[in-house]
Amino acid sequence: MKVLAIVRTELTRTFRWRANIFFLLIMPMGLILLLGVAFGNSNARVGVVNRGDGALAGQLVKALGNEPGLDARSYGSQGSMEKAVERGYVSAGLVIPSRFDARIQAGKPVALRYFGRPDSLAPQVRIAVESAVSAQGSDIAAAQIVRSARKTSLQSALGRVKAVKVAAPVSVQLLSAKGGKYPKSQGQFDRSASTQLLLFVFLSALTGSVWLIETRRLGVARRMLSTPSSAREILLGIVIGRWVITLMQSLLIVLFSWLVFSVSWGNPLGTAAVILSFSLVAVGAGVLIGTLFSSEQQAGPVGMIVGLTFAAIGGSMAPLDAFPTTVRKVAHVTPHAWANDAFNHLLVNGGGFGTVLLDVAILCGYAVVLLTLATWRLRRVLTA
Amino acid sequence: MSEPVLRCQGLRKRFGDIQAVNGVSFEIAPGESYGLLGPNGAGKTTTISIVAGLLEADAGEAFVAGERLTTRSVAAKAAIGFVPQELAIYPDLTAHENLSFFARLYGLSAKQARARTEEVLEVIGLSERADDQAKTYSGGMKRRLNIGIGLLHEPKLLILDEPTVGVDPQSRNAILESVEQLGERGMAVLYTTHYMEEAERLCDRVGIIDHGELKAEGTREELVALLGEHDKVHLMGTGSLEAAANACARIGAVDAASAGDGSIELLVKGASAALPEILTTASEAGVSVHSVEVEAPNLEAVFLHLTGRALRD
Repeated sequence: MKVLAIVRTELTRTFRWRANIFFLLIMPMGLILLLGVAFGNSNARVGVVNRGDGALAGQLVKALGNEPGLDARSYGSQGSMEKAVERGYVSAGLVIPSRFDARIQAGKPVALRYFGRPDSLAPQVRIAVESAVSAQGSDIAAAQIVRSARKTSLQSALGRVKAVKVAAPVSVQLLSAKGGKYPKSQGQFDRSASTQLLLFVFLSALTGSVWLIETRRLGVARRMLSTPSSAREILLGIVIGRWVITLMQSLLIVLFSWLVFSVSWGNPLGTAAVILSFSLVAVGAGVLIGTLFSSEQQAGPVGMIVGLTFAAIGGSMAPLDAFPTTVRKVAHVTPHAWANDAFNHLLVNGGGFGTVLLDVAILCGYAVVLLTLATWRLRRVLTA
Repeated sequence: MSEPVLRCQGLRKRFGDIQAVNGVSFEIAPGESYGLLGPNGAGKTTTISIVAGLLEADAGEAFVAGERLTTRSVAAKAAIGFVPQELAIYPDLTAHENLSFFARLYGLSAKQARARTEEVLEVIGLSERADDQAKTYSGGMKRRLNIGIGLLHEPKLLILDEPTVGVDPQSRNAILESVEQLGERGMAVLYTTHYMEEAERLCDRVGIIDHGELKAEGTREELVALLGEHDKVHLMGTGSLEAAANACARIGAVDAASAGDGSIELLVKGASAALPEILTTASEAGVSVHSVEVEAPNLEAVFLHLTGRALRD
């Protein structure tokens, strides 16, 4: 009951300060939105001007949109599309000329005008566009053979070609290097939501150390120890209070990103285990900092620096895959790296609870060490 | 005689090179008010911290309501209400929330906590402001709330560490009246102060502490009797007060002399006879005396007699 009284007081004090509602709950979601919009969409955009009015022209536009890593965006005129390419709104542009269908029906060649940007994406975009165009070209070539043999219309011949393609006995299955299921392509906010959740939970737990320091500075912590309550009960109350706050923050980020951005959080049990264990590590680190420093002015910036540094090293600002092997190994000094690994198992590889057990066990180990040190330090600073 | 509420035996505590508490022993009976009187740095707060279970003594032991007291002893702490010198309250919580919170930490059930919170709010006169955040209170109101927290579980021993420091005279008087009433209710009180008049007014017995040692203890009368026929003499003046105090201390009738802020305090046997010599000595030492006061002996004089320095030093 004493523990619950401390938990309730922690929550009351935290949410009585209105700015906390902004920093703990609103700001993380705003940043997920911002980072998702800025960096989340890896698809290249292609502007398309469709002057043709036939079914084949429409099929080509659709095929462009279906190309992996490519989004097709329609423009009304070549001029507006060219401006969009120049300004970088789209990575490339394609003009489908008028009488596209008619020329193909007549067996005549058709020239498509392609506008590219001189940037690093250009080769990739060009290959994707060429792939869509050549796929349609090979279908039409096959259909023309069928048409001449069967004396039928091109549309009917195309239908037969597509039917044969669908029934083909050859199937392609993509596997990852380790033989597992190939990673699913992620939505615009999927990666930013999980990495930002880790960043903010850790950061807010660390900066929450100022609450413990204030409790000490006011003499309230010492007074709590003068009551028939043990140091362990007092620390447990403080830890659970801070833990509940970080879990509320996590839950809100998960729900908000799921409802608003359709972020997939994978296996619920696995995700819950990662969030619970990582939050406890964050709270342990925050409470330890709260026992190591004697003023809020010292602990606040230290918490901020440690939180941001760990997030940067641990893959919450840039994916760990982008780091060299040695750096990736060093990154696993931080709890963020283990939690990011766990989220990769769950969200990218579609793994279940079993795939994150090792990561969760290591995170629990971090939490035990940090909380033991924090209990020892708190007792020491209050009774020294 | 009934079992003492608090029994301290040979308490010692050292911080580095400083012996903060050196062999302090005393007892407090049920319903008794006991004052620890001494200047800043005398060892009062260290003694109180040990007795409140916040600090482990290097040697010696303390028992509260028969239970041995350590920083981990829950049973002994249940009998203590501790009111620290600083305002140990949450400023962003209301008086009601602060009291309810500590009531639960003192082990009261939810129902008991609700009832005692209301009672204590009445006692400390904050019922009408109970739902305002403590940061909106005056200094005196915060002090009263600080004391009220210590009363929640109706402890056998209430420890008050200099509760009137930094308080305006009106609030100070209100606090002293509250403490007097607690004594009348049968609660034992351990009160530390460096104000002689508070100790004289509130305490049944006083322990005089200096440099970590309990120099003497007893009722006011018993302590004053230690002085014999001594009077307390104040010389107000300007000049070399320190040198004059040292010179006066060499006079046979002067038991102790101490220079302070614009005055010299002397403990003198037969003040009326010795006064001319004292004035001459002070004048020769370079002090221009403006006025002289002779007082009947009090606890301040006892402190001067026992330690050779004034309480304010």
